Formats: sequence, structure tokens, C-alpha cells
Amino acid sequence: MNQFTFESRQKVFLAGFMGLGLLCMVLTIMFDDEYLTRFWSNYLHNSVFFTGIALMSLFTIAAFTTAWAGWYSQFKRIFEAYSLFLVPGLILMIPVIAGLWGGFHHLYHWADAESVANDPILQGKSSFLNANWYTFGTLIFMGIWIFFAWKIRQISLDEDKNGTPDWNHHRRIRAWAAAFLPIAGFTSAAVIWQWIMSVDSHWYSTLFAWYTGASWFVSGIAISIMSLAFLKSKGYYERVSEEHLHDLGKFLFAFSIFWTYLWFSQFMLIWYTNNGEETVYFFQRMNEYPVLFYGNLALNFIVPFFILMRNDTKRKYGTMIFASIVVVFGHWLDFFLMIKPGVLHTAHEISGHHGAEHGAEGAHGATDAAHHGAEHAADAAHHGAEHVANAAHDVAHHAASAFEAGFTLPGLLEIGTFLGFFAFFLYMFFSNLSKAALEPKNEPFLEESYHHHV
Amino acid sequence: MKKGANEVLFGLYDDEEILIKAVKQAKADHLEIMDVYTPFPVHGLDPALGLAESRLHIAGFVYGAIGCLFGFLFMTWVFTRDWPIIFGGKPYFSAPAFIPITFELTVLFSAVGMVITFYTICGMGPGIMNPTLDDRITDDKFCIAFNANDASQETLDRLKGFFSSTGASEVQTKSI
Repeated sequence: MNQFTFESRQKVFLAGFMGLGLLCMVLTIMFDDEYLTRFWSNYLHNSVFFTGIALMSLFTIAAFTTAWAGWYSQFKRIFEAYSLFLVPGLILMIPVIAGLWGGFHHLYHWADAESVANDPILQGKSSFLNANWYTFGTLIFMGIWIFFAWKIRQISLDEDKNGTPDWNHHRRIRAWAAAFLPIAGFTSAAVIWQWIMSVDSHWYSTLFAWYTGASWFVSGIAISIMSLAFLKSKGYYERVSEEHLHDLGKFLFAFSIFWTYLWFSQFMLIWYTNNGEETVYFFQRMNEYPVLFYGNLALNFIVPFFILMRNDTKRKYGTMIFASIVVVFGHWLDFFLMIKPGVLHTAHEISGHHGAEHGAEGAHGATDAAHHGAEHAADAAHHGAEHVANAAHDVAHHAASAFEAGFTLPGLLEIGTFLGFFAFFLYMFFSNLSKAALEPKNEPFLEESYHHHV
Repeated sequence: MKKGANEVLFGLYDDEEILIKAVKQAKADHLEIMDVYTPFPVHGLDPALGLAESRLHIAGFVYGAIGCLFGFLFMTWVFTRDWPIIFGGKPYFSAPAFIPITFELTVLFSAVGMVITFYTICGMGPGIMNPTLDDRITDDKFCIAFNANDASQETLDRLKGFFSSTGASEVQTKSI
């Protein structure tokens, strides 16, 4: 069976989850505050998460091809099919861009003209953090990625039909892949700054892009392990053995550690330097999001580290699937923790100065947290002063210590939205997978992949 | 390989594929292989020889865990008891600052411990002479060795017959 058929039963199943996701988004909108903070932050969170996985899958093909890797060529179509999710990913980003121009969301502090006018830091960053850069950066960079994904896919499909023994197609893929690596390195960083890091507009970290990229990469590997296990259970990929699973497991293990390394490097440098404008990021997360902050490390480091350390756990589907599920969910939480606090902060800030204009109107929904914050403000300001006076201003705004579903912890609506997006991702994946042979015919490394042995 | 007079009958092969076939044949013939020497790790040789999985990595984990605890507790002792110094206004017990050294010591203990264990198990070490059967087994030859101590002529003939039937390029006897 070298041709995947996307059965209607599977379509209905995934469509059901997509419906659940839509329902959750509608419910979020219905019970949201006036700025739809919860809805928009969930939307950005999930769009960015899955688009990034698509990018990193393309990066995986590029890196593996450039490194002459042969072991994965049997199932390289899985990564190709993931990378084609960049197209829906671009479509998912368009509402965010449109909202930036139309002003119907307040995801980014720097997008609020009134805030920028009174804020020298935001003014200083406005040459990069502005709607033009965001729009054209996203469109152009994602356009480049889509072009590369399409190009590599086209050559790979053509190889099935017109492959020659002189490796002509493989050489062409190699050239495109090698060209893509530096492009991916620089453009992904710029896009990560815009999409995610600029949510905390005052804050910056040079390690952030690497850390986020590693998060995407690990999630991509974990999802491919799950997909491979599913496809094998359906009888596809008969010649993919536990040897291949073992190597994927090594990637999951090694890049979980790599992610932890970057996470800790970023944390420790900021903690050690103790600059107010940098520590505020962690101060806020450690105090208001302790469950996620420490749970993030437990799910993304401790669990995969101890599960995948042994040889035999990397060769069994049960343990690998368990580790993959934990890792995907853990990195989704990681993105939650990157995006939510900043968005919430921006919402408070904006409701603050808009609230002055509209009177009582500004005191709704998400701004409740600001009121909680006011109660604790004195307390938080005291803590802040202990650390750095600078931090106190930011923290005092919303030092609500009570957990709030959707903001300080993912609620059921967040989980539902996540499942909806995941189903959409898988739907696109399976439909792209069914459009080509599962194993690339005439791929020069195919024979090596059959005989792969760790 | 231990010192002492040991009669060894060994055959050299030119290729690892022939070697693996020969090893499987020896298993099928119930010949007791003393050892196999190859210039590089050969995939599939361990299962063909029926060797159990190495337990070296378990030792590595234990050493690593000891190094991890030692590093963290040592740093804690130094900076809270023995020589407390304030760095950048941080508390004496600053766990994040201890992590890099804890990590380094974990790796160091694990790596050095495994090397020492491995050398001890294999009877290797500085100043210990390990005679080779043939210098070419570190270069391009693959060797199957049988213990030929007090072997009867019948057994020797049987082993030689095995070597010639499995395609050994040379068969020699050596006392090591």
C-alpha cells in the first residue's frame, strides 16, 4: 500500500473536532470582554503554533537533505505534507493582520497608537514594531516559505514520475534545501519577534527566536511520531521499523534537551543580570502563572528526558506515543505562556486609558483581573520594589493571584480550540498526504532507508 | 584478553558481510566462538553473536545521578556554609546559578565513570599490554577466534573446515 486513502470516516471524525473548535471559538467570543482578548489570544496562539510546526517541518526536510540523511526518505512525504500547511497558516494569519489595521483586536501593545504616543520605549521600537513591518514581513516571509515548500514538493513529485538514476531531482532538492536553511534561520527569527515576542512589547530577548523555534521543531517531531504510528496501525509504511522510530525518538529526546537548554539559558541570564525591563517577563510568569511556569519544565523536559532516556522506550510505540502527546501538549502550553500574559497586560493597559474616556464601560471581562490587581497592587508594588523599581509599575497592574481559566490557565474553551486547530492541521496533512505516493519512488536514498539500522 | 599461554585458532575475513554469515554459521554448527575482532563496529554483529545488551549505560546513569547530586550539594555547601559570598544581590542559596555546574559535573561523572568502568571490564589500562592476534584486524580484516587450548586434532580439523567453508582468507594459530 503505497497510496494513502483519506477515508470519509476519518474526514468526518476530524471535521467533528474542527466543529468543536469552531464552537469553542464562538463560545469564547460570546463570553468575552469588549476587546475579545481571550478569543484573539487563543486564535493567535493556535495559528502561530501550527504554522510554526509547518515551517519547522520544511526546515527538517531541508536540514536532513543537506546533511545527506537517508534514513527518513521512506516517510519524507509526511514532512512534505506538514510543510504544505504553510498555505492555510498564511490564511490563518490574515485575520490577525487585518485586525491590526482595522483595530478589532488588541493583541499587540505597539499597535495601539495612544500607548505608543506616551511611551518612549515603544516609540524607539516603532521602526520595526509597526503594522507595515508586521503585514509585509508576514506576507513576504511566509510567501518565501510557501514558495520553497511548493518547490521542494514539486521536484519530489516529479521525481516519482521522471526520476533518473543520475540523481538529478535529488540534486535539485538539495540545492533548494541548502538555500532555504539560512533563509529559514533569519526569516523565522524576524517573524517570531513580530508574532510572539512583540506581544510583550517592552521586553526582548535575543535567545527567544531559537527557543521558540526549538519548541516548534520538537512539536513537529512529536506529531510526526504520532502520525507514523497511526499510519502504521492502518497498514501503511510496512517497511518503517522500530529502527526509524528509534531515530525519531532520539530527535524527540535530544531536541527536548535542546529546548530546555535554550529555555534555561534565557532564564538564567535574565535572572542573573537582574535588569528590571527584562526580569519583569519572568517575574510575572513565576508569580501569576506558577503552575504553567513550572509545569512547562516538567512536561517538556523531565517527562521526555526520563521516558526516552532508555534504549527500549524509543523503540516501542506505546511509550513513544505517550511521550509525543505530553510533548505536543507541553509545547502548546509553552506558547500559551509566551502569549497570554503579554496580551492580558496590553488589554489592561488599553482598557485603562480607554476606560478614562468611556467611563464605566471599560470595566468589563478581562479588566476584572485589573480590579483584582488593584486589590493586590500595594502588595505587588512592595514586591516589585524589592526587586527593581521599574518592574513594580508593570506588575502592580494585574498581580491577580487567583487563577483564571483562559488567562492564567487554559480553560476548556482553550482545549477545545486547540483540538479544533489540531484537527484542521491533521485534516490538511492527511489530504495532502493522500495526493502523492507515501514513499517517494526513485528517491536515491530509499534503499538505504529500507535497510536502516541504528 | 588475559595474559598467559592461550592457544588461539583464528580466521581472517575480508568483508563484514562474509563475517556475519560465518558467525551465524558457527552458531548453527554449535561452535563456541571465543571472540570476534573487527576494525569498526559492524551492524548486526551483536545479535548474531547472541550478546546481551550492554549494561554500561545503567552504570552511566548511576554515575550521572551521583555527579548531579554531588554538584548541587557541593555548591549548596560552599555558598551557604563554607564560604558565603553575595553575588549581584542574590541569596546565598541561588539554585539557578548552581545548575550549570551541576550539569557539568553530571556529564563529567557520567563520562569518566563509564570510561573507567569500560576499561576495567575490558582489562585495559595504562601499561597493560594487549597482544593482538594480527595487526591487520585494526585495519581491514575481520577475525573470528576460537579457543584451541588442549583441542584435539579432530576439533582443530573441524574448525579449519568451518573457516574454509565460510570463506576465510587466512587461518592461523597463535599463542598469546
